[in-house]
Amino acid sequence: MTKNILSIFTFSLLVVLTACKPKYEATTPEQGEMNPTRFVMIGGGHAGGYMDDALTYEGQTNSVANILAEQFKTIGGGAFNQPYVSQSSMGVSMAGLAPFKLGYKTDCKNVTSLSPVRIATGGDLAVLNDNLYTASNKFGNFGIPGLKLMDVSNTAYANVNPFFKRMTSSTTSSVLDNMMGVDPTFFSIFLGIEDVMDYAKSGGKNNNLPSTANFEAAYSNLVQVMTANGAKGVVATIPDVTQMPYFTTIPWNGLNLDSASNQTLNSIYNPLNFFFEIGSNPFMIDDPAANDFGVRQILDGELLLLSVPLDSVKCNQMGVLFPLRTEFVLTLEEISTLRNQIAAYNIIIKTIAAQNNLAVVETDKFAKNLKDGFVYNGISMSAKFVSGGAYSLDGIHYNAKGNALLANEFIKVINKKYKSTLHQVNAGNYGATLFP
Amino acid sequence: MYSMKQIYSFYLFLGLFLIPHFSYSQGFQVNFQGQKQQAMGCAGTALQTDGASLFFNPGASAFAKENSVNVATTPIFANVMYIDSATNDVYRTENPVGTPFSAYGLFQLKKDGKLKLGIAAYTPFGSTVQWEKNWIGRFAITRLELKAIFIQPTISYRISDKIGVGAGFVYSTGNVNLQKDIPVQFEDGTFAKAELAGKAQGFGYNLGVQINATEKLGIGLNFRSKVQMNLNDGKATFTVPEGLDPNFPDGKFVGSLPLPQVTTLGLSYKLNDKWAFVLDINHVAWKAYDTLAFDYEVNTTSLLDTKSARDYKNIVAFRAGASYKVMKNLEVRFGGGYGLTPVQDGYVTPETPDGNRAYGTFGLGYKLGEHFAIDASCYYTQITRADINKETNLSGTFTTKAIAAGIGFIYKW
Repeated sequence: MTKNILSIFTFSLLVVLTACKPKYEATTPEQGEMNPTRFVMIGGGHAGGYMDDALTYEGQTNSVANILAEQFKTIGGGAFNQPYVSQSSMGVSMAGLAPFKLGYKTDCKNVTSLSPVRIATGGDLAVLNDNLYTASNKFGNFGIPGLKLMDVSNTAYANVNPFFKRMTSSTTSSVLDNMMGVDPTFFSIFLGIEDVMDYAKSGGKNNNLPSTANFEAAYSNLVQVMTANGAKGVVATIPDVTQMPYFTTIPWNGLNLDSASNQTLNSIYNPLNFFFEIGSNPFMIDDPAANDFGVRQILDGELLLLSVPLDSVKCNQMGVLFPLRTEFVLTLEEISTLRNQIAAYNIIIKTIAAQNNLAVVETDKFAKNLKDGFVYNGISMSAKFVSGGAYSLDGIHYNAKGNALLANEFIKVINKKYKSTLHQVNAGNYGATLFP
Repeated sequence: MYSMKQIYSFYLFLGLFLIPHFSYSQGFQVNFQGQKQQAMGCAGTALQTDGASLFFNPGASAFAKENSVNVATTPIFANVMYIDSATNDVYRTENPVGTPFSAYGLFQLKKDGKLKLGIAAYTPFGSTVQWEKNWIGRFAITRLELKAIFIQPTISYRISDKIGVGAGFVYSTGNVNLQKDIPVQFEDGTFAKAELAGKAQGFGYNLGVQINATEKLGIGLNFRSKVQMNLNDGKATFTVPEGLDPNFPDGKFVGSLPLPQVTTLGLSYKLNDKWAFVLDINHVAWKAYDTLAFDYEVNTTSLLDTKSARDYKNIVAFRAGASYKVMKNLEVRFGGGYGLTPVQDGYVTPETPDGNRAYGTFGLGYKLGEHFAIDASCYYTQITRADINKETNLSGTFTTKAIAAGIGFIYKW
């Protein structure tokens, strides 16, 4: 009897121990009312995986479009082709330069610190030489660096943009022609950033912001063509680009004065009614409208661009005796022009989306959330340059992690609109800036 | 002549070091401190069993009839599964087997004397939580190892045939080792790491009263004080890219963790020679655990002191069990319990994926002659808890399965 009880005890113990692992019941994602068989995405560098100021294999792999396509594959999406830069290539920027990495840089004062540096003196221009189009494997990612909404129907666009030229079916086809050649069943439109970027990156000098009427006509036409065959899709609004680190990293009042330089500056500028104090001060900028001398102190809320030559600032009186030129500054007026225009475009995008019953991902809210900062699975994310974790080293495009977070926003609205049950991706596994 | 403010400043917020905490949030309360009690639903405050009463109720120890020494260990097999609500990805712990032990010596100066002296040593938590590699919550925690031993010298006194009282002083010493990944990457893409380690100490006491109201009915009251575990000489080690070394200086830190006060009312009823029943009601003052703070000796823009809200609430747990004497030298025991979780919504963390829990236990005791006895027990529970953590935004469902199978040996004389 005793023996029996002991063996029953031992036996039940063994049974229980093997049953100790919690059981996982996998759920299969469903496509709901969407059909991702042939998916295309159109946009600028933000859609195409452009990051660290270059198109690279790595960046393309982690493009918003590709991340989405990979998730679509779990609900019946087909192969998704991208015009890949060769894996062995370093990639190339829109200006022909090499990508940024974080490295050590010694400034004019012989101070060495971490800073974005180009990984080589020039980019791999060979990337732009070959045309990669094949009729049997048509591209799905039309996230083309520099592509503006206003250019999607331009049949001469291949001659304008080498990043399109390398992927187009013919040099007389527009981006839209190429895209319709895929006969898409589901599409994503993430256009508009490049349309405002010329203005923003030139400090308001390049005033080529499309009129709202032209923007509306172009967007409306695009959506009409895309939906003509019954395809469904998701469209993205335009983020407030002035929240990008490119415009927020250099502080307006970053001019730090000691007692001697304070005195010198005051003696020079006091007659013009500009006053300085020991410690932090606003930089001097050009502003033809300001006074007879066309200079003034930058105001709180105005933005200095990352294109400011920092060595000149540190060692050659730029921003001080030599005021920063207007192309380095977004004034309050320019900022408000830019923001009003983006807001107007976004109303157009949302209206057209509603008329065509499309899902809308509000990237402007996403960018705002980043600016305010949030925690993602224990990772503090923000819009800060380098340390914020979401923007790449060009300060404009997201890095892989930022793209993954944004792709999740697409997935959320797609699921909601089309009753699909796509899983999000774990953005924590996607890379950000690498540190030496 | 002019200097710029630092332009590229790297505010790499380290994030918050979550709790050095046990995987059994009610863990202090699981009562793995006596094989007989463990087999009877972890109840037995009102029943003098053996040396383990020094933990459960030093008042009951006053009714011991012999000298005794007993030792026991309870290997814990605990597995946690986490299903992330956004990705539906599943992650699991790879916990090594936990091996809490207890040892008791209970002595009387003369045969059937009123005064008993006892010494108890036990590990109220001794578990390690190890999450699988690259799990989604790696920036909250990857590994938490907690080892602590409580040493409790105790005096018990039998005031009358019906009333016994006892008091013990508790000294606790332990080791904490907490690891997590930091969301900055080396050039090869691997993530930086942080490790916090140190020794902690704390003091407390354990008071008990046992009233044997009738031959059959026993009433036990037990009060175990809060033990504030203070970590005064912790060492923080950061494995980060060279370029970030200045932001994450290795150095000292201090922190502390309260183990809550527990008040228990226990009842025991001896129906006849064969059957005995026990019931315990615990009140656990978890409210003491409102904040977890870490204070680093050297702060940088990336390494700030942290204060994390925990906001635990006081809880009640019910435990009951029975023993049945099958034959002269063999007793079988069984029981179960239900405990509310102290962890409120929004505060569930991967190291304490706690929820309300029901559990079942069984076991047996076997006497080998007059002096020697063996007790064995088994405890099983499954807990499921879904939550969105307010601090890390980890959003998902934790499922914990735990089995604790213990064995103990007693020598009496």
